[in-house]
Parts: sequence; structure tokens; C-alpha cells
Amino acid sequence: MEILIKNGYVFDPLNDINGDVMDIGVKDGRIVDPSEIDPSKAKVIDAKGKTVMAGAIDVHSHIAGPKVATGRLIKPEDHYLTNIPNRLPYRRAQTGVAVPNVFKIGYAYAEMGYTTVAEAATPPLKTRHTHEELNAIPIIDKMAFVLVDSNWIALDLIQEGDLEKLCAYYAWLLKATKCYALKLVDPGSDVAWVYGKPSLDLDNYVPGYNLTPRDIIETTGKASETLNLPHQIHVHCNRLGYPGNCVTTVKTLDLSNKFALRDRPSLHITHVQFTGYLGDSWADLRSGGEEIAKSLNKNRYATIDLGQVIPGFAAVTMTADAPFEYVLYHITRGKWSFADVEAETAAGIVPYRYRKKNYVNTIQWVIGLEITLLAEDLWRVYITTDHPNAGPFTGYPKIFSWLVSAKAREEIMKEMSSKALKRSALPAIDKELTLYDLAILTRASPAKLLGLEKEKGHLGIGAQADIAIYDIDPTKVDLSRDYEVVVRAFRKAAYTIKDGEIVVKDGEVVKTVYGTTYYVNPQIPEDLEREIESVVKEKFVSYYSVALDNFIIRREELKKSKEITVKAKLGG
Amino acid sequence: MTNSKSLILITGRSLMQGVSMEAEGKFSERYLKAAALIELNPKDIEEIGIKDRCKVTSDFGSVVLAVRRSEEVPPGVAFIPMGLWASAVVDYETESTGMPNLKGITIKVEPTDEEITKLQDVLKIFGFEKFDYKPQDRSVKTGERRVVENVICTFCGDLCDYLTIELDGELITRNRGGCPISVAKFLNYHKHRILKPLVRGENGKFVETSYDEAISKAAEILAKAKYPLLYGWSSTSCEVIDLGVFLAELVGGVVDNTAVICHGPTALGAQEVGTARATLGIIKHFADLVIFWGSNAAHAHPNHFARWVLSEGKHRKGRKERRVVVVDVRKTGTARQADLFIQVQPGRDYELVTALRMAIKDLEIEAPEVAGVPREQILELADMMRSAKYGVMFIGMGVTMTGAKFRTIEEVIKMAHDLNDWTRFVVIPMRGHYNVTGANEVKLWNTAYPYAVQYSDGFPRMITGLTSTTDVLIHGEVDAALIIASDPVAHLPRKAVEHLAKIPLIVIDPKWSLTAAVADVVIPTTMVGIETDGTAYRMDGVPLHTKKLVDPPDGVLSDREVLERLINKVMELKGWS
Repeated sequence: MEILIKNGYVFDPLNDINGDVMDIGVKDGRIVDPSEIDPSKAKVIDAKGKTVMAGAIDVHSHIAGPKVATGRLIKPEDHYLTNIPNRLPYRRAQTGVAVPNVFKIGYAYAEMGYTTVAEAATPPLKTRHTHEELNAIPIIDKMAFVLVDSNWIALDLIQEGDLEKLCAYYAWLLKATKCYALKLVDPGSDVAWVYGKPSLDLDNYVPGYNLTPRDIIETTGKASETLNLPHQIHVHCNRLGYPGNCVTTVKTLDLSNKFALRDRPSLHITHVQFTGYLGDSWADLRSGGEEIAKSLNKNRYATIDLGQVIPGFAAVTMTADAPFEYVLYHITRGKWSFADVEAETAAGIVPYRYRKKNYVNTIQWVIGLEITLLAEDLWRVYITTDHPNAGPFTGYPKIFSWLVSAKAREEIMKEMSSKALKRSALPAIDKELTLYDLAILTRASPAKLLGLEKEKGHLGIGAQADIAIYDIDPTKVDLSRDYEVVVRAFRKAAYTIKDGEIVVKDGEVVKTVYGTTYYVNPQIPEDLEREIESVVKEKFVSYYSVALDNFIIRREELKKSKEITVKAKLGG
Repeated sequence: MTNSKSLILITGRSLMQGVSMEAEGKFSERYLKAAALIELNPKDIEEIGIKDRCKVTSDFGSVVLAVRRSEEVPPGVAFIPMGLWASAVVDYETESTGMPNLKGITIKVEPTDEEITKLQDVLKIFGFEKFDYKPQDRSVKTGERRVVENVICTFCGDLCDYLTIELDGELITRNRGGCPISVAKFLNYHKHRILKPLVRGENGKFVETSYDEAISKAAEILAKAKYPLLYGWSSTSCEVIDLGVFLAELVGGVVDNTAVICHGPTALGAQEVGTARATLGIIKHFADLVIFWGSNAAHAHPNHFARWVLSEGKHRKGRKERRVVVVDVRKTGTARQADLFIQVQPGRDYELVTALRMAIKDLEIEAPEVAGVPREQILELADMMRSAKYGVMFIGMGVTMTGAKFRTIEEVIKMAHDLNDWTRFVVIPMRGHYNVTGANEVKLWNTAYPYAVQYSDGFPRMITGLTSTTDVLIHGEVDAALIIASDPVAHLPRKAVEHLAKIPLIVIDPKWSLTAAVADVVIPTTMVGIETDGTAYRMDGVPLHTKKLVDPPDGVLSDREVLERLINKVMELKGWS
């Protein structure tokens, strides 16, 4: 299908376009010069008075894999009353808000104009499950980050001090699991968890090893940069969830300079809200937003995503930070799930509700907003809710409204804890972002973060035809005053186009297509590859309960895939 | 002296029931000998005055069975292996859980001179007048010898993935590493096959037909039905089950798998309180306390004990560094391997778990005995659990099928949660079919529920008691059924099976199950893990991709191809092409 989008207000920061009226041409799934399209034969969309952006990208969301599945299992109440009947044969039934089924995930993201989502964490041994679920999610392009910080083979190699072998192992692992980047969650703490010990701060020793989480982060960071991976190491900081943990986060951010081997961001800290707490108890919890914004401004090799809280929603916390979930279970005394994965990692799940009037939840809510509004460089900040930990991804439009409208913030602050707000900087911040800023935060810079800015996150010629058109006339709408329009428009796009196919029209899914799973293949010297294969073969026998050749995931198991090849800076 | 006596009946797997069904099929003498049998304590045998057979009667039916003397069952308790004869006498009541009372039923046992009830006669009692059985062996070309390593077994939830299969062409000659049931399955994979699609003729006998015909007929039945049931799924691959859920959504029916009469209650318990799990390698490396509760691994998961208890892990040098406890109503083969055997009274596990939780928390237990277990034993076990470095409880049907059913599971999981305050402790369900876990995973991602899902309102709903297979059959709510990769006629209670006799019945299976023999349309498919590859999930959630070892029999399609064609045909009939 050929498409011609006419007269829209285009926001494309990667190409320096800020609201110009432009036509966009689509042909064979790519963006082309509009002059190449014959309007008499193409589908013409009149985008007059509408905002046009590239499809949005979510860099951290829990949408697929064993803990998402368990989350669904233990929260049937998330599904009783949240059903959207099917429209057979082109649209399947949807259910759920915090732990939706695969159809709700794909369709709701598409309805918001999101076309690429990264599954934030997958345990290697069960990653086949993650891929089965990713295969089943309609429309969006996807990828997964593989957990490595408590991995026995990785820890052995880090301890041995052989960086080349470690690089080779990570390369092998990424290929074997068909994943996109290296994920660290409360590094080293799952080793402690399996031994029944408490979680670790940056300089505690990992039980059984002569290593600290700092060592794990630095060495893995170095390896990732040496491997030339498109996305840098993705780190969930130590001490997540504890009052005062901001200190650890700032120390971790400072590490980014130590392995910035490519003069580009080397460290990504995720859902920084959860690790941005000042104070030494829940009673005197305060926002570390300003501290983190300052540290981010200083550390130009670091990037962060928010993990922004959406108050009033029944969230489900799910993370590889099993020791933290043990603590949260004891706070909530509700349901709890955990799963230890041999030689690799663990996970925990605890349903949790963020309450508007709650002091702690209000502090949590201000952190993400403070960071974004105080950051000097919006190109290193990303909007996420760590779905479903801080809120459902369908809450993103609300976040947009809080960022573009001080009035929107004022309105919701009326319902929140005044004591918490008195101790926060947010009420005094009157900065308001623009549509261009939103485009940076949700399209342009996420594409760069993932190393996919050639074909995603922008509307230049040659880009993938992943396009979102919203019912917002930037010349008529006062974003600050009419923030409800922002919420409505971004929740239900006028059009979403995926690989050149119209999949959403007037906020409704009109066609089910299937996107592509991205994974990385870091190329290393052949002799190193052979060496690591024999190391892995030997360790597998003693560490794992499955045969090595049954562990490896073959490309054919991915419904639709794209391999990103990179060349490691290794060897002769 | 002859008497009749009331006993409590337990049903479950037995090794010979598994071996015989895989080796020679359910129509064989061997299966009759293995499943038309009741195990009784010698004291009861003497008291009742029976010799080699007896008549077993419950509120639900009556059969004549061979008698085996066994010290494993205590006086007052009897054991019948799961199968058609057990199904004739078990209770169908699910108490809205979907799980019928397959254990803990009161039966009357008396002497008799009648013959042991034949398979066909039980089927007649269930209402199946038309019964036809045309097994064929598939052809196996021989000549080229080869060895395939790391083959994944497709029998039980242990999913042993280290089998070495030796082949002579298409004939499997040896299975090294597999348990006896696995060996039976692989070496006999080519026998008792359905090789041609069949439809029931006028005279009740099957007539061979083409795939197109059979699939058309099946599609018509499903498309026209008001509320069809699509059941089974646990012995095929995830790729297939995924299609199955789509089909159920298209026809607005019920999609359910064998977990409904197995670990369904475990899922229900998880819905209430959460889970406490680990992968099996963790057990190998860390577990110094291994408890089997209501699970007879020696018969149902024969390699399990060797793989996880006898083996050496990073911190445990095998059996001598682990303590084994078995909690069961009978002193089973598994129990004989324990350091501590706790004999609980049938149906009273909930009380025992409650007492154990209390003991773990140092609360005083006033009763000197709970559920037949002396207080001292409860305190001993509680102490072992608290002082373990890493404990695991493997739970089986003993906990899910009786008494408080899913409420017992809730207590077990909460107990594990409590123990994690002192130490590490997990609960792992012993899943039966090799891909029952996968069937639940597929349903979770498609519908957000693990099983017992219906689509009649255009979206998924799970309400056990209303949407569970046992209940929709007992209440006669479904008007057509597609059965795939399972044998409900053999294993569902009589009242549920009787309804299957009244509705159009489609079966998709590589082999002659009992359900196939009484179906209206039979569609043969290839065997996953031998003739077709496909993904399956181990009991601990680890997903593996089974291998294809040989080419399918000539002209036989895979489950996947059949479902794709069925879906296309149904869409055509509904005007959705």
C-alpha cells in the first residue's frame, strides 16, 4: 500500500523539524519523498490540523516472559472487568490493565502510536518463553534485554579478570538467547538471594565471589562497549526501594565515565524513580530528583529512564530484584510470587497500589517529573513507567500532560499528600515542555538509545514507515491549559501506521499485523569464539539442568526477526 | 467368611499403567491387567474374603476388578490406577473447582464370581454404543543407523532432555536415559497408530476418508455448535496450542486443558496467594531437604528422584547431603526412599498443613494428633523445614484432588512464604503431561487465564464450576467437542464422559486413545518430539524445543497443519475469509 499523509504538523527532532507543515510519503514499508507517490492510486490521509510524529519507542517495559506470565496468573482480578470483546476475524479479545494479555499489549501500544517496545529483562534459561510471548504480541516491533549480573558463568569470568573471554561469553549469550542488550538488576543481589542473604550495595561482596556489584557493573560495561553493542548496559541500581538509595544511584551514575570507550553514552540507569530516594526512613522520605538531575547533567555518558508513578492505579511490581520483592511483600502482606533460576538470576512479583493521598507514593510521583523538568539535556531522559511496576503503560499520556502543563500538575497535586508536596521541589517548578520535547523524549532519543536511529524515531527518507498521527492542532491547542486534549489525543491516535500499513484509525485497531523481533549478533574473532564455546560447554554440564544444545534458541523460533550485526573491538 | 466393606478409594498413576498404555495401547491385555485392578491391604482382603477379584461399587458406578495384595495401602484404603475402570467409580462433583473428587471416594468392595469388566463393557456403561478400533503400525524404513543425542522426552513434566536415541532408519531401537515409560513410548511410537482420517459410518464402524473431508466435517461441527468444547492440549506443542486458543475464540467455545483435573487447583491457589518457585537446577545445587507431598514420583515421574535427589550439585554431594520426607496416604515406592514417612489420612491434608504452619511459627498445637499424624512428627518436620538451608516441596495430586483442594495449596504456598523468613523454601508442582505447563503458559499469554476459559461473550472468562471441562460436561452445557492430545474418556469421571457420548465428538491424535475409538470424526496427526518438532515447558517453567527424529508417516499431517486448516475452514464457514 502507498500512503500520502498531507498537511500535517510534523515534529521530527532527529531531522530538526519542529512543527513544519509537511507531506510524508509511504511506499513499501518505508518513508519516501512524497513526490514519489501518485495520490490517485495511494491512500491519502488528510492530516490538516493534526500532529505527525514517528512511531513512539518504549525502552523499558515488562511485556513478555515468565514473570509477566506469573503476574497474569496471580492477578485474575486484573482481568474480570477490563475486557474488550473481539472483532473477528481481524481483532482478538483484550483483557487486563496491569498484566494484560498479548493482544491488549500490542493493540493498546499501537493505539497510543507506539510501534517499538523493549522487554526489559529476561532470564537466559527461560528466554524461549519470552520470545514465544513476543511472537504473540501483535503490531509492535520488539526486543529483549538479557539478565547477566548474577550469572555464574559471567561471574566466573569477571573474577578471572579475562575481559576478552567475558566479551566472548556475552556475545555468545546474546546470540544464543536472541537478545538485544545486557541487563543488570540490583547487580549480584540474586546470588545473595538464592543463598538467603540480603541484597547488596555497590561495594558489598557477592557471596562466594571476590567481587562487588561495582566490579560487575564496570566490567560488564567495559565488555559491552568493547563489543560495540547498539544499546549500552541497562542497569537497575543496587538498593532499589530503600530510603536513602539515591546515594548509590549517584555513585553508579559516576561509574559511566570509567568505561565510556566509544565517546557515547555507556551506562543506562533504568526506572531511576525507584532508586531516587533521600531520607533515611519511609517517614522522612524525600525526592532525590534534583540530585539525580544534577548528576545526569554532569555525567554526559549516562542516560536514565524514569519509572514514573501513575497514582490511583492497581500496579503489579515485577522485577528480577527478588530480594526487594521479599521486602515489599512484608510491607504489603498481600500476594507474593518469586522464582529462582539456576545459575542465572531470580524474580519477584508483588501487587501494589499507589495512593494519591499517601505520603510515600506522592514523593515517588514527584521524582520522575522533577528529573525531567530539571534535566538540561532531554536527549538523555526517557519516559517509562517500568510497566507495570510504577503504573500501566496506558498511563503515558497522563505523564505527557504533567510535563507540558503546570496546570495539569496543579490539578492532580490537589488530590495528593500536601505534606509530601511541601517537602518537594516540584510545586515550585513551572517549566512546561513542548510537543517537540515530547517527540525527543518518546521518539528521537529512544531510537538513539537503542542504536536504531537510522531507521526508527524519525520521518526522514528511508526510515521505517512507523508513523503516528494525533488529533492535536499545535496552532490552536494551548497545551498548558487544555491538557485533557493531550491525554485524549495521545491515548487514541488518529492514525497509527506500522511498516506502511494502517493499523489504527480513530483510536481503534483496524488491522492486525506482526512486527519484528530485533536481536544483536556481536562478531568476535573466530578463535575466541571457539575458545568460549568449549568453556561454556564445560560449565554447562556442572551448572545447568538442561543440555547446552537445548538451551540455545534458533532464529527460526522467532516469528519475524532482524539481526543487528556489530563488530567487536577485539583481537588482531 | 464373606463380607462387603467400605473403603476409601485413591486413584493415581502407576508405572505399569504408564508403560502398558505407551507400549501396547489402552486396548491391550497388558493395559487391562495394569488398570483394571485394585490394590488392597491383606487385612481387608481377609476380612472381605476375596481371592483374585472383587466387585467395586460406589454411588457412581460398579466394576469388577482384579485384586493385588499390597502393604502400601493401609487397611481401610484402596488404590485403583487411573484409567477407565477408576473413572467408572470416582465422584464427578467438583465443588465449583473444576476438579472432581478423584481421590477419597467411599467404595464398597465385595467378593464376586463375575469376570473382570472388559474395556468395551465399561464403554457401554458410559453410553458409548458405537465403538471401533482400527490400529495400524506406521511403516518404518530401516537400514541407516544413527544416534541422536540430547533428545527431549515427551511423556511427563520432567522433560528429560538428555536422552540418547538410537535409530535404524525410522525404527527406534534404543532409548538410553529414558525411564521405563519413556522407553515404552519411543520404542513403540510406530505402533497402534491412526494413519488415515476417519468418519463414523452408518453402521457405527469407521470409514476412511481424506483430510479435506474430515476437516470439513469437523469445521462444520464446530462452526455450527452453540457452545463447543476444545479440550486436551497437554500432549502437543505450544505452537499448536496457540492455534487452538485462536480456534476456540473463533467459535466462541470453551478451551481447557488437562490441568483442570490435575494441577488446576494449584493454579487456583496461586491466584489467591502467589507462588514460591525455583528451577530444578536450583534443587540439584542447593536442596538439603526434599519433601514429596501427595506425589508418587516413583510411578509418575520415574527419573525425577535420580535427577534431583540422588544427583550432585554445587553444594550438595548427592543423596547423603539431602534429607527426604514423604507425606502420603499410602507407603508408596517413593515413600520407601524417604528418611521420614508421614502417613496422613485421606482428604485431611489441609489440617496437616495448617498444623505444620503453626509448628513452624512456634504456635502451640493442642491436639495430640492431626489428620492421623502424631504431634511429635509434625514438630519434627517443622524443625527440619526451618533448619534446612534450601527446602523444596514437590506437590502432587494427593494435595489437589481431595479435601480442601485449592485451599490446601494456598496453605502450602503460604507455608513456603513463611519459611522464607528463616531460610529458602520453594514449592514445585509435579506436572503430569509433558506440556501441560506449556498449555497453561499459552493460555496465560492469549487469555490472561491459565485454563478453563470460555469465549462465548467475545472475550475470555474463567470461572471454574462454570467454564471448566468437568462441569460443562456434567451439566450437559457443551454441544460439541474437539479432543486433542489427551484421553478424557479414559480419565474423566463417568458422568462427564457420558455427555461426550451424546454430542458430536472430534478427536485429533496420533494414536488410538479410548476417546478416538468412540469419536465421530478422527483426524490423525504426527507425534511431537519424534516426527515433528515443537516447544514444550518443563514443570519448572523451563521451555525446550523438542526435536524431529524421523519423517512423518506418509500422508499424515502435523497437529499444526490440521489446526491451520481447521481454522481456515471455520473462518470460511463463518464468512470471514
